[in-house]
Amino acid sequence: MKHIQHTLFAICILLIWSCKPEDFGPIGEPQNIVKSIQGNWGLTKVTQIDQDASTKGFPYKQLDITAVYPYTDLAVAFLGDAQGNPTTFTITSGNSPKITDLTSGNWTVDNVKAPTAISLKNGTVVNILSIGSYISLKSGKLIIKKDKKLNGKVILSYQYEFTKK
Amino acid sequence: MKKILLLIICSFGAIWASGQGKVTLSPAAFTSEDEVTITLDVTGTPLAGANDVYVWAFSNDGVGGGKDASTNGQWAASSEDAKMTKTATNIFTFKFTATTLFGQSPAELINFGFLAKSKDGSKQTPDYKPFKFDPLVFTASQFRLFPAKLDYTDMATVYFHQNLATDVNLQRMTNIKVSLSFYNEAGDPVGSKQNIVTVKESAILFSYSFIPERVITFPAATKLGKFSYQFTGTVKDANGLDVTTNGPVTEVVYTVFN
Repeated sequence: MKHIQHTLFAICILLIWSCKPEDFGPIGEPQNIVKSIQGNWGLTKVTQIDQDASTKGFPYKQLDITAVYPYTDLAVAFLGDAQGNPTTFTITSGNSPKITDLTSGNWTVDNVKAPTAISLKNGTVVNILSIGSYISLKSGKLIIKKDKKLNGKVILSYQYEFTKK
Repeated sequence: MKKILLLIICSFGAIWASGQGKVTLSPAAFTSEDEVTITLDVTGTPLAGANDVYVWAFSNDGVGGGKDASTNGQWAASSEDAKMTKTATNIFTFKFTATTLFGQSPAELINFGFLAKSKDGSKQTPDYKPFKFDPLVFTASQFRLFPAKLDYTDMATVYFHQNLATDVNLQRMTNIKVSLSFYNEAGDPVGSKQNIVTVKESAILFSYSFIPERVITFPAATKLGKFSYQFTGTVKDANGLDVTTNGPVTEVVYTVFN
């Protein structure tokens, strides 16, 4: 009996002794989202989303309106300085309907490390667009959303999908 | 003599109308779970010039199962929760969500009405009613708009679901087109376009997508308040000849996003 106890005790000691922190490999450099946004982008898809219908569980929640007018004419350039900070932007609509009130000005983000919104500003006019998935940025797609609110509730959204030029 | 009589009737009509006040609801269409802002212009009513105005609201007018708003208080002593916000001379606003205001479920709420009054009830406006709540359950219909709420800068898509048409001519209609008319915030016509060819999405579904500024030309300073659409087409008569037929005119009030 004592023999078994000694054996179990030795196994326990051995197991505890064998525990040690596991080494994980490096996960790589963090993605610089702001820098990924900088560049020239062409509009490739426009989706209109009835958020009110989504909230109520109604059918007919969204509609691809890209082909209705020449939305794909529209191009956006987000420029940055040498340090990668946002500076100016230009929006060239061509024959596309406007997607913001502005065609040029300065752009900023709400959070440099993890931006969720882009502010476009020219004088006193400010347009705020929200940024979609970061993952798509790696594959050269920028997804931007514009919300229209009523009494603080989002009623209608436009999702713009840009492809890097 | 007839003209004089007509003039007198019109004058009395105008005087009566000016003494009724003016109500605007935002959004124009709402369910019982949406937040609604009442804007009331009390010009010409007994409350004109007042600083303190209180709302007295009630649900389901004329349909049974109605309740007074929880904020009403007593007629001779309105609750402070019912006080409207003065935004300009004679202009007052009040924000509410019907399910909360009336303490009723969406299934129970059909419409609401209200009046404005002084705290002690010595002065009041006429009743403004009934304002219907949109259903919370989707109801398929022959005509549909996407998105349901939009302003005049948005893309609108109007649909005709021919399989849901109740009129025989609309069920048989071919060569389907749509006519659009646009109105400014005062309700005056701004422009229209007739007989636009629709997109045949399937054998039973026709649509047309548009942004007003791409359909009509209107001054940049003009804001559109509403538009109307009407699907038209042709049916064969007894001799096999094409005859024009028109669907009803559907009016859409633009939402003012804030």
